[in-house]
Amino acid sequence: MIDVQGLTKSYGKNRGIIDVSFEVPEGEVFGFLGPNGAGKTTTIRILMALLRADGGTARVGGLDCWDSSIDIKKMVGYVPGEPSLDPNLTGGQILEYFANLRGGVDQAYLKQLIARLDLDTRRKFRQYSSGNKRKVVLIQAFMHRPRLLILDEPTNGLDPINQAVFDDLVREARSEGRTVLLSSHVLSEVEKTCSRVGIIREGRLVQVGGLAELKDIKRYEVTIVFGSAVPANAFAALPGVGAVVPLNNGHALRIAVQGAADAVIKAAAQYPVVSITSYEPSLEDIFMKYYETEGRTREPSHVA
Amino acid sequence: MWLKSIFTKSLRDYRVAVVGWGLGMGLICLATMASVSQLVVTPQARAELVALSKQFEWNAPAIDVDSVGGYTTFKIGIFVFLIVVWPLLAGSRMLRGEEERGSLDVLLSTPRSRTRLVLEKIGAYWAALLAMTVVMATVLYVGGESFGGNFGFAGAFLFALNLALLCAVFAGVALFISQFTQERGTAAGWTGALLLLFIVMDMAGRVFPGRADWLVQLSPIYYYNLSKPLIPSFGTNAGGMLTLLAVAVVLDIASAWIFLRRDVGATIPLPSWLRPAPRATSGPAALPARDWSLRSVYARSLRMIAMPTFWWTVFMSGFAAWMLVVVNQISAQLVPLLQSSPTFVAMLQQLGGGTVDFTAQFVSAIFQILPILLMAFVVSQVNAWSSDEEDGRLELVLATPQPRRAVILGRFAALSTATVAMGVTTLVVCAIGAALGGVSLDGGKLAAACLGMIPLGILIGGIGYFAGGWLRTAADTGLLSIILAAWFFITFIGPDLQWPDAAMRVSALYYYGKPLVDGIPVANVVGLVALGMVALALGTLRFARKDIGV
Repeated sequence: MIDVQGLTKSYGKNRGIIDVSFEVPEGEVFGFLGPNGAGKTTTIRILMALLRADGGTARVGGLDCWDSSIDIKKMVGYVPGEPSLDPNLTGGQILEYFANLRGGVDQAYLKQLIARLDLDTRRKFRQYSSGNKRKVVLIQAFMHRPRLLILDEPTNGLDPINQAVFDDLVREARSEGRTVLLSSHVLSEVEKTCSRVGIIREGRLVQVGGLAELKDIKRYEVTIVFGSAVPANAFAALPGVGAVVPLNNGHALRIAVQGAADAVIKAAAQYPVVSITSYEPSLEDIFMKYYETEGRTREPSHVA
Repeated sequence: MWLKSIFTKSLRDYRVAVVGWGLGMGLICLATMASVSQLVVTPQARAELVALSKQFEWNAPAIDVDSVGGYTTFKIGIFVFLIVVWPLLAGSRMLRGEEERGSLDVLLSTPRSRTRLVLEKIGAYWAALLAMTVVMATVLYVGGESFGGNFGFAGAFLFALNLALLCAVFAGVALFISQFTQERGTAAGWTGALLLLFIVMDMAGRVFPGRADWLVQLSPIYYYNLSKPLIPSFGTNAGGMLTLLAVAVVLDIASAWIFLRRDVGATIPLPSWLRPAPRATSGPAALPARDWSLRSVYARSLRMIAMPTFWWTVFMSGFAAWMLVVVNQISAQLVPLLQSSPTFVAMLQQLGGGTVDFTAQFVSAIFQILPILLMAFVVSQVNAWSSDEEDGRLELVLATPQPRRAVILGRFAALSTATVAMGVTTLVVCAIGAALGGVSLDGGKLAAACLGMIPLGILIGGIGYFAGGWLRTAADTGLLSIILAAWFFITFIGPDLQWPDAAMRVSALYYYGKPLVDGIPVANVVGLVALGMVALALGTLRFARKDIGV
């Protein structure tokens, strides 16, 4: 559904994105992760033909994003990162306006969305709280049941109840075979709804993979409590072992492990073991570690 | 240094205005001073200038107009409505503008009291006005020295200060009204309407002397006119200036008092009889709204532009109708004067066109201001288009299957429709006004004068949309304002300075000509429209290819 190859965009001397490549097959919910200013919005705005790429190609549904932007927009629902709408229109008027610009929408479904997100459509946009403004923008993106949803940090300002409604809407879209590109820096949101994730950093896509694949690169921590003090260097050189931190005067070790823990378990068996606890990190932990350590030294990788 | 406090930061925000407005006002005066020597070459011409100016006293008091200071005071009095535009906008933006942007919330989250915030903001505004006064006074003084003015720096400073005090009053009015409105634009609109009312009240006092003087004294412009520091024999009226100062200070204090007591982002509720009745709608049942203005970009643009179009049309056609009401009275006095004065026949012909019909010539001269008003309206709407892109309001519209060219052309079509409506309404109002006032005008030429403004609107709009493809909002609006000011000066000051025809042709107003007397050559209309269309076409091409919001 989305095919981005070697996409590059700069803003004069300022960096935008550099040589970004990824694909999103139809029916997939793809998470686009990165901190603020990493290049997520630039990539998305190129897909929406709001920006013109300096190099590379961006295609949606086999169509070039710039040359066939009108055809693409017919099948896309879009939530911008910083939505700005006419402050003098009511929520209802805004939805009707965008419905008209899209050639009409199913009114019953529109009303259903309004009810599910509990939006008061009578108030003017400028009178809405940030959460209610976000609801208006979300509804306009979903109301025409688009084949592709491009959502740039869509849950900013939403309360947990409405975030849950949003998660349901994304799951429904996925179950109906529709595609979702969800940009976020809220990793729990991505973990809940996405099947694959791309991580962008300083304008470069540094990792793309399924959630399971990403967790394969995870570093989990094993804490082993021994009956007597043990030497830390007996574990430090083992395959897959990162940092080894002695605790409680050497009676316990906290060992960072990447991949299989077989060697660590076999080494621990040489000593009197009291207990073993393992902590499996969330995607968020992986993401943070990735940015703190590997992300700074890795070369960009293009993974389809 | 400028970011140390709210006061200095606010002052920093005014820096362009201080230089631009102060210098601009000074240059207007300078250009006027330069033209005086051309008007008083002989004693007879001097006497005629005095006599002719007396006929325009309904517009602005004419005192010692044969002197550099007197003529400058007279001319500035006529265009006082243009001078208070910036203060009016600044006053409405001072608190309400920041509330609209949400930046006041952040500012108030710092350990600064509301009292301090509002005092620093108002203080910065007054400091900016004082700086403008000094800039303008300096230019005035230099002009006076160069062109033989009989006033010193003190006179120049007091003149600029008097003008600044009038500006402070209207800024205070806008600031005060903004405490009751949700948007700064509404406050600016109401202040603009009050400005118009005050101008008419002041004019009425001179047209109908002795009647309802108490009403005239309600207008701040009356107190402004009490002082004429550039005319040493007239001098400065301390009472008038102190009244302006007091009114401005009271308005500022009242605004601050209200601001300290209301919710940020909210308004003081109006009395129930002033509040619009709430619409009877309920929840999702309010959909679909079936509103005509939501059917297309063009319809939505037309709805957005409707209210400003209405008020500008009221202003323009009201001005034109007023001219037609008073023209017979004025021309009855002018005809004998003009018949005995070749100098002023030439001068009026220069402004109003060559004809033996003095009424038509006079009305034609007055009608020269209308296309400038219409173009100023277009500039304000180009500003709205440009800021919509800059503020991201086009993002979601362009995410729908609308071609970019349809969006820009839809918006331009709405603007063109508005200019046509303004031209046609002015024509109808003028025709009615002429009939009621017993003024005999050539219908075809009146239509040419009113409808001939439309191509000028299209031209300046096309240029604005074209430049908006590259420039940010402030730069685009600034460029258009400079173009408009340049055209204004070429057309109105150029003849006084005896500029060559080639220079006069640079102004688009040259091609509008004097349609009430001479009609408008079709070639000129076609040329202006074609030029506007070329600019629009290039602007559309640029918009279709540019990065949005960058």
